[in-house]
Amino acid sequence: MTSVLAWSRIRSPWILYMCTGACNACDIEVLAALAPKYDVERFGILLKGSPRHADVLVVTGAVTRQVAPRLKRIYEQMPDPKFVIAAGTCATSGGVYWGCYNVLGGIDKVIPVTMYVPGCPVRPEAVIDAVAKLIAKLKSG
Amino acid sequence: MSTFNMEFIVKDLMNAFPNKILDYKFDGARSVFISIDSGILHDVIRYLKDRYDLKHIVTITGTDLLDSIELIYHLSPLDRRILVNVKVKVSRDNPHIPSVVSLLPGAVLYEREVHDLLGVVFDGHPSLERLILPDDWPEGVYPLRKDYKVEVK
Amino acid sequence: MSYYQVPIGPQHPAIKEAFQFNFILDGEVIVDVKPRLGFVHRGIEKGMELRTWTQGIFLAERICGICNVPHTTCYCLAVEKIYGIEVPERAKYLRIIINELNRIHSHLLWIGVLGMELGFHTLFMYVWRDRERVMDLVEMISGNRVTPSMNCIGGVVYDITPEMIPVIRRNLDYLEERTKYYKSVLEEDPTIRARTVDVGVLSTGKALDLCAVGPVARASNVKSDVRFDDPYTLYDTINFNLITYDTCDVWGRAMVRVDETLESINAIRQALDKMRPGPINVKVKRIPPVGEANARVEAPRGELLHYVKSDGKETPYRAKMRTPTLANIPSLCEMLKGYYIADIPAIVASIDPCYCCTERVMFIDPNKGEKWTWSYDELRNYSRKYYGVGV
Repeated sequence: MTSVLAWSRIRSPWILYMCTGACNACDIEVLAALAPKYDVERFGILLKGSPRHADVLVVTGAVTRQVAPRLKRIYEQMPDPKFVIAAGTCATSGGVYWGCYNVLGGIDKVIPVTMYVPGCPVRPEAVIDAVAKLIAKLKSG
Repeated sequence: MSTFNMEFIVKDLMNAFPNKILDYKFDGARSVFISIDSGILHDVIRYLKDRYDLKHIVTITGTDLLDSIELIYHLSPLDRRILVNVKVKVSRDNPHIPSVVSLLPGAVLYEREVHDLLGVVFDGHPSLERLILPDDWPEGVYPLRKDYKVEVK
Repeated sequence: MSYYQVPIGPQHPAIKEAFQFNFILDGEVIVDVKPRLGFVHRGIEKGMELRTWTQGIFLAERICGICNVPHTTCYCLAVEKIYGIEVPERAKYLRIIINELNRIHSHLLWIGVLGMELGFHTLFMYVWRDRERVMDLVEMISGNRVTPSMNCIGGVVYDITPEMIPVIRRNLDYLEERTKYYKSVLEEDPTIRARTVDVGVLSTGKALDLCAVGPVARASNVKSDVRFDDPYTLYDTINFNLITYDTCDVWGRAMVRVDETLESINAIRQALDKMRPGPINVKVKRIPPVGEANARVEAPRGELLHYVKSDGKETPYRAKMRTPTLANIPSLCEMLKGYYIADIPAIVASIDPCYCCTERVMFIDPNKGEKWTWSYDELRNYSRKYYGVGV
């Protein structure tokens, strides 16, 4: 059974996407990855609406104080095994928002991160590459 | 150019409110800053609204000048061609000023924002609650005041 | 009466930012709306006070990633006023071109989002495919798809070379043809019309009282557009129309944006024709003189204001920005009243919020002592079923 689950996760990772207080540029680039030019769905990547259906959490944004507890809650609601991709420089380290009082600075301050994807904003190709690398990592065990 | 001439508006205000118009300065071709006594804020805004159709409030800017807090009401007439920026000062320790929401309903969120970030109390505002700071932000701490220092790591 | 609480959690496919509304209902009908913002509040105005004047451009650009070009333009215009300098003519036309490219991308993005909110995913896919042409043009000019960072204090930093011009014109022709097609879809498709005509009505009087800006105001027949009222960077030399509709509803707002996209395409063509060779920026001193200034530009969502104050130091004393979405929130609260829960996605999307909707919707019925939640997908499905317009 484990190998069937692993196989389905590798073939078709389901993504949950969350924004934690970003400027929107990374958000629209992640959405552009869904659009016909980049089209992640051909890799079996599906965007889901609920944390309980997702394997991978893609997060953008530098994490504002108000959003931090919700980010943690979403992460906890996801079933194991779960992976987190920090998309964009703000999600990685706070990015351009240094010195802004309401920003925690990077999602690894709140939840553990599997993969960091820099870019301001992150390119859709980089997001797809990140998911592809994640699949390769899963395949290799 | 607006049907309303900025120099004309300034001169008219100085006639209508003698000795209460403290200063004025033109900012480019279509904007003017006018400093007034805070006691006549309501009257000046009503005057500008009734006579010159300055009903569009763009926003209210609050600045901590260390010895006082300056509020700038950025107003525009219905044809939006000019900006008349009315400046008043309120005391930093007891920053109260009458709300202008009864005259300009569009100001409702701008007053809340200034209240949140600088602690100015707009008397008569229908609901001066938190607008943008998080729920767990400490009371009495106003981030846009100069004594609030941000740690830069 | 039951309370309808809408907690936020931006875990939504069409997400940008998030905010909270408390809806007060009478059965299915919305009686009142109270906004609570702050989930994307980052403290940028304070952050600007820590940065030099040039560093401020990059922070201003990330106030909103979608309309980043108007933010940098507005900030640079205000600072240039304090310096008392005039940027070169070529820079002004380049600013027009990049601003209008940004407007096209933003409006096309919005049409796709409207499609998503109404359950019309095909429209989203088609429009976002065509929108990629604009991203390619911006990348060709500046090296970045979304945030070109083209403005500097004193002008612009990237130029349009003669080789780029035929590429730009070819893509504009393609975009014009596609936008006309989307316009016909919005005008004729019965599903879209059923969900948007006479929905979310904001009368002209209310739009003026509540100081609505941008396409929201223009769809309620308010003739206001900063490019016409208070022209900046040579917009007064470009011939284009101020688009207004008098239907005052969600459909009107959609049509205003589609027509504005067509006008923007024309504006870029004219700017390319009128632009003459020359310098693209002027050098300025590192520190501006003491002073303060305002600047207004027409962002895709409406009138944007930047106010900057200098006390002669290398960082601003105060930098204030008022974004158009904040100006439209009182109008949004007004236009939701009297409509059904099922209309919420379409009405909220129609102001083109520079944040997006909600993750979960919570119902509280104090009479029955019951509480239940729906996901946003459930709310959208409910809307579709309510209107019987397919899933």
